[in-house]
Amino acid sequence: MENSVLQKHVEELAQKLEGEVVETVGMPALKIKGAKISEAVLAAKNFSGSPCDFLHDVTAVDYPERNEIEVVYYLTSLKGSQKMLIKAAVERDNPVIDSAFKIWPGADFMERECFDLMGVRFTGHPNLTRILMWDDFEGHPLRKDYVTESLEERKILRAVKPGE
Amino acid sequence: MLRTEELEINIGPQHPATHGVFRMIVKLDGEVVTSVEPKVGYLHRGMEKLAESRTYPQYIPYTDRIDYLAAISANISYVQAVEKLMGIEVPERAEYLRVIFYELQRLASHIGATGFNASDLGGLTPFLYCLRDREKILDLFEMTIGGRLTVNLPRIGGIIEPPEEFWPTLQKFLDEMPASIDEYNGIITGNEIFQARTKGVGILSKELAEALSITGPVLRASGVKWDVRKNDPYGIYDRFDFEVPTGETGDCFDRFVVRIKEMEQSLRIIQQAVKDIPEGPTFAKVAKVVKPPVGEVYHRIESVRGELAYYIVSDGTTKPYRLRIRGGTFINIQMLSRVVPGWKVADLIAILASLDIVLPECDR
Amino acid sequence: MKEQQEVEEAVKKNVILAKVDDMLNWGRGWSFWPVSFGLACCAIEMMAAGGSRYDISRFGYEVFRPTPRQADLMIVAGTVTRKMAPAVKKIYEQMAEPKYVLSMGSCANSGGPFVDSYAVMPGVDSIIPVDVYVPGCPPRPESLFYGLLQLKQKVQNPAKVRLAKHGK
Repeated sequence: MENSVLQKHVEELAQKLEGEVVETVGMPALKIKGAKISEAVLAAKNFSGSPCDFLHDVTAVDYPERNEIEVVYYLTSLKGSQKMLIKAAVERDNPVIDSAFKIWPGADFMERECFDLMGVRFTGHPNLTRILMWDDFEGHPLRKDYVTESLEERKILRAVKPGE
Repeated sequence: MLRTEELEINIGPQHPATHGVFRMIVKLDGEVVTSVEPKVGYLHRGMEKLAESRTYPQYIPYTDRIDYLAAISANISYVQAVEKLMGIEVPERAEYLRVIFYELQRLASHIGATGFNASDLGGLTPFLYCLRDREKILDLFEMTIGGRLTVNLPRIGGIIEPPEEFWPTLQKFLDEMPASIDEYNGIITGNEIFQARTKGVGILSKELAEALSITGPVLRASGVKWDVRKNDPYGIYDRFDFEVPTGETGDCFDRFVVRIKEMEQSLRIIQQAVKDIPEGPTFAKVAKVVKPPVGEVYHRIESVRGELAYYIVSDGTTKPYRLRIRGGTFINIQMLSRVVPGWKVADLIAILASLDIVLPECDR
Repeated sequence: MKEQQEVEEAVKKNVILAKVDDMLNWGRGWSFWPVSFGLACCAIEMMAAGGSRYDISRFGYEVFRPTPRQADLMIVAGTVTRKMAPAVKKIYEQMAEPKYVLSMGSCANSGGPFVDSYAVMPGVDSIIPVDVYVPGCPPRPESLFYGLLQLKQKVQNPAKVRLAKHGK
């Protein structure tokens, strides 16, 4: 029932923002350009009848052959079982996108992890630093062109920055 | 000249009260905490990148190690996500068996969480009572699959059939467990010192919990009646009759009591499943080489500590293109820096214990 | 004469003569004080070993100290990541001599299932010297006890086991 309401909303939003609707298993997905993300997310939060106002997850997927990184937002709701994906494409060489921190403070750690492991910069985030790797680590491990160091290199104890 | 300074201490990665390698930088004004900054990542093992070099069935043992106290819930979530992507229908008996093992695992994890919660606040005896009951459940797992902690139980397409002596042992356990829950209520919940240390401490309001994307028993203790098993059912959960316990104020005591009540509801579900389970095969027909079609799937379940979700992007080969694990603990830890300031150091430990964190789910 | 014989027999039954080193090793072997250093899943099996079914207290090793200054055995239970490695070395250096290290689980022995991950140090023996390795993923509490008993043999009979790498 509400899936058709949600589907209609998503198609209208896709037309407004020049995006396209992609089918994933069981839920609608909206694919847009990275610059339009704040509009899309606010509109999804205020869908009448089936609002998607709970930010469940922010993650990123690397597509080197298309030369883009897709930042994926998974929105659900605590008022019903609606769920949808928003996939925002940014350039791979300079991935910058607006942060969702002002709308949902829960995006704090999720966006820091995307920055740490994939290199996506979120403008407007209060503290965009590495969270899972140590501060002096170089590189972004989840990218497809990252080369894992050999066994011998990983056995060496790392240098510790004073104050850690 | 007398003066006061703010003291900055490091509750370090090796500490008896943090559940694993978790670090916090705490600024104190006397005994009162003024700010907390959690530092995670000391157990980051790169599980998402490892998935890109393992085939789909080879990855099931890795999902055990994501949440070591509730290994079966992470297993089942992954296997259900792959089955959704491939469109496989699992037979009825396998679904019921999955529910039985899953609720047993929830019981084992909540028993452990109760024991750890009490021992962090100083009472070391309830921990031994809880371990005694946990060992009974681990015996049931060992009888079926041979592992106690990291079980690796379901497979893509079904689950293993437990042996003959599983059912009478399970029935005996179900008969003895309510008496144990009464014991916990007597020793811990009704204890004056425990109540004085946890009632009114670390109140998490409903609005803040929703804004911070918190899920699981922590969200339910703040008054929000949301459980994925009831509101967005997966598998066969819509056939069972159980309640979703909630708290009123969102303090540490409510979080503790919600877990005890969830244990009682789990017992109800297991009893219904044991009564209704049909005969039949436990495996669907799946090709030997698992190659899902091109596509994406996002599947979430109500795990023990929050909502555990998998996002799998498949490009048609035998290995995933991208596997993302959304763990409840990683997001729940965000509440520390907003709720703790204003309380004393001892309350910080009480609040951390009531969150029931498990570090691999946070760091992966 | 007869008195002297009686005294000699009484001495044989009630008095033991030994070297001071042997006495100290005997005492050390029967009561290790582990520092609680559980990192990952193996830590839960260590705690289960301390529970009432698999009782570690019957061997004398149940006194888990939170601080390394009061401990003499470090059980490294779990994966050692590259971010955590300096802390492991610091705790090892804060323990007083004589100290022993037991590596529990395949992650601490040699990286385990995560050996080709970018963030994991393959084995803890690249930073600290290990005395006993206990394999398993996770090892059952009985395996941990076997490892502890092997360590006891090593401590109480140092001439038979060469401790060449220890302490360097």
